[in-house]
Amino acid sequence: MDLQSLASPTGLLIGALCGLVPLVIALRNRTPRPGILGFLACLLSGFACNVLGGLPMILLTVAVVVSYTYTDRDDPFLSRAALEEVDFEETFGAMVTRRLAGLGRTIRAASRALVRNKAGFLGFLGLVFFFVLNIFGPMVIPYDGQPHFYDRRREGAINLFQGPSAEFPLGLDWQGRDILSHIVHGGRALIITSVQAGVITTVIAVILGAVAALIGGLLDQILNAIANFILTIPQFPLLVVLAGLISFEDRFFLAVLLGLLDWPTLMRAVRAQVLSLRERDYVEAAYALDLGLPHIVMREVLPQMISYIVINMIFSIRGAMYAIVGLVFLGMVPFTEPDWGVMIFMGRSQGALFSAEAASMLLSPVIAVALFQLSLVLFTRSLEEVFNPRLRAGL
Amino acid sequence: MGDNGSSQPLIELQNVNRFFRQGRTRVQVLQNINLAVAENEILCLVGESGCGKTTTGRIMVGLLEPSSGEVRYRGRPVNTLRGKDRAEYRRALQIIHQDPFASLNPAHTVGQILAFPLQRHRMAEGRGGVRRRIWELLTLVDLTPPGDIVNKYPHQLSGGQRQRVSVARALTVNPRLIVADEAVSMVDVSIRISLLKMLHRLRDEYGIAIVFITHDLALAKYFAWEGRIAVMYLGRIVELGPTPDIISRPAHPYTRALISAIPEADPQITRSKQRMVLRSEDIPSLLEIPPGCAFHPRCPFFVEGVCDTQLPTLEKVPDGSQYAACTPLTRGQELRLYGS
Repeated sequence: MDLQSLASPTGLLIGALCGLVPLVIALRNRTPRPGILGFLACLLSGFACNVLGGLPMILLTVAVVVSYTYTDRDDPFLSRAALEEVDFEETFGAMVTRRLAGLGRTIRAASRALVRNKAGFLGFLGLVFFFVLNIFGPMVIPYDGQPHFYDRRREGAINLFQGPSAEFPLGLDWQGRDILSHIVHGGRALIITSVQAGVITTVIAVILGAVAALIGGLLDQILNAIANFILTIPQFPLLVVLAGLISFEDRFFLAVLLGLLDWPTLMRAVRAQVLSLRERDYVEAAYALDLGLPHIVMREVLPQMISYIVINMIFSIRGAMYAIVGLVFLGMVPFTEPDWGVMIFMGRSQGALFSAEAASMLLSPVIAVALFQLSLVLFTRSLEEVFNPRLRAGL
Repeated sequence: MGDNGSSQPLIELQNVNRFFRQGRTRVQVLQNINLAVAENEILCLVGESGCGKTTTGRIMVGLLEPSSGEVRYRGRPVNTLRGKDRAEYRRALQIIHQDPFASLNPAHTVGQILAFPLQRHRMAEGRGGVRRRIWELLTLVDLTPPGDIVNKYPHQLSGGQRQRVSVARALTVNPRLIVADEAVSMVDVSIRISLLKMLHRLRDEYGIAIVFITHDLALAKYFAWEGRIAVMYLGRIVELGPTPDIISRPAHPYTRALISAIPEADPQITRSKQRMVLRSEDIPSLLEIPPGCAFHPRCPFFVEGVCDTQLPTLEKVPDGSQYAACTPLTRGQELRLYGS
């Protein structure tokens, strides 16, 4: 998927229009700063999402606008009138408006929850930074892929390494190439593969965990045995051995493999949660009311676990990223430049450990990986608040 | 037995046993329960914690299967019910849980909680019908004005309000019997009475039978005055009969002990009240239920050679209207203090 080609002026226009909403609301409340922030966020995401992503964005914006103009008193269902005086029939339009207002309120509560936790919001900003870096960075900073030889060599130097300077803010690597351009271009493949691995892990773990807990019996025992077996395998050494046998030309294959190795921990946690949720009184009441298994799983059990699942998904994305960087660093994965992992490997092998002006070559990708990881972990703090159902009604 | 004279009981437990496995040991929770509830009846299950009251209630509603024995719904064994009949049985019996904070899903609003069963079982016509029914149900359980409640989440409600929502949820499917499992024990004392009155009104207006599970005999006396009480001890019913008789003339020694232990609001009465002294205060473990009558190690009227060897059966008390499981009593012997 080429994100760059997806961005378009249409998306930018949608983003600008949607961004007007937080701006106007904030200016009316005389709080310009969050308004500008919201406008920028809308602009950026509209640009990145293009038309297809723009449509849900328009929907969400309309929902927020509706939630401001809509008051519950308009709905006879929520009035304080006597039963006999109320007409409960509702036109389709009225229902759509009501639902939209509900959605808008949820978005407002969620965005408020996002900001509430300072550490979590910092993590969110960090993720936005990497989002911008990986999608808009390449448009501004061209990729400097060809080796340079003597055109960038300093007087009297024995190699092409250079420390940070005004022209090259992060310095030059061992072939005289701009490190900043490598940082900007080199994160996307890594991040996408890690996210793929995290999603695969989570999907496998949630499905198997729920099945094991709800069906139980022999199936439960078999799944547990498999999970325990995989847990006893030292994962990273196995990956290293596998990388020697199989070539990971296709990064998606690597993501699948990481997912297949990583699911047992989360699966056991999901299983335990479902087992405990299954015994809750309201689940029992749903059984007594004969609401059916799909309803019980989708509406009664999963909503209670969604924050747990998403947070764990983030942790498995984190784990996958470390594993990939580790494999690349050991040289077990075919090199595809630009890549943060390859930069670390090359930095070390080209002697960046021993030369001060070469430190940037090694430190830049390390810091990039560490910052991304930190943002992920901090962001989970906010997610906890966003998914808390109590906040949805906190308006 | 205990058929109350009506034609066919709504739900009937016949020789129901239930055990749970705890590792290799079997914990016998219910033994040989025979109980029938008629339409529109009030039945109180009374006993100390761990005596199997809740298990009995859950087996009635179909949330638990008996290990042996049979549950009959309108004369038909429930494990033979299939399809529509089974769905009807499921809906006809509803349960209200003890803990109002755990019985409502925190992720849904009151309106959603009530709408799910209404929509699933098509208990109302169209969207407007569902909305109207939700209002009616909330009015029925005294949550007025309903418009203020429908959009609230459970955590925004008080314990009493939540319990009312639980009742409304049970009523969505037009049940014939509601098992109220300690339904008021976790609610503030000051609103217990209004909750109980509401349950009474539902019974009077809609003919719903109520099985009221409680450990509080005083509450049972208040709630089930027109109904019956079943006293349970260690997984067995030890006494069963009309409430006024059980309260005023308890037959089984265990019931007598329970009644003598009811605290009175007036401290003078409480102090002067004659309390029955048991031979032991310890409740035997369910893992080692005493042979013979399970109550004999504690019973002040223990008869050696009879109570500790013969399993008492629930039989009519000679000079009362209730049934009791006490061998000397049902044989017509006079109960005498052990050792006297």
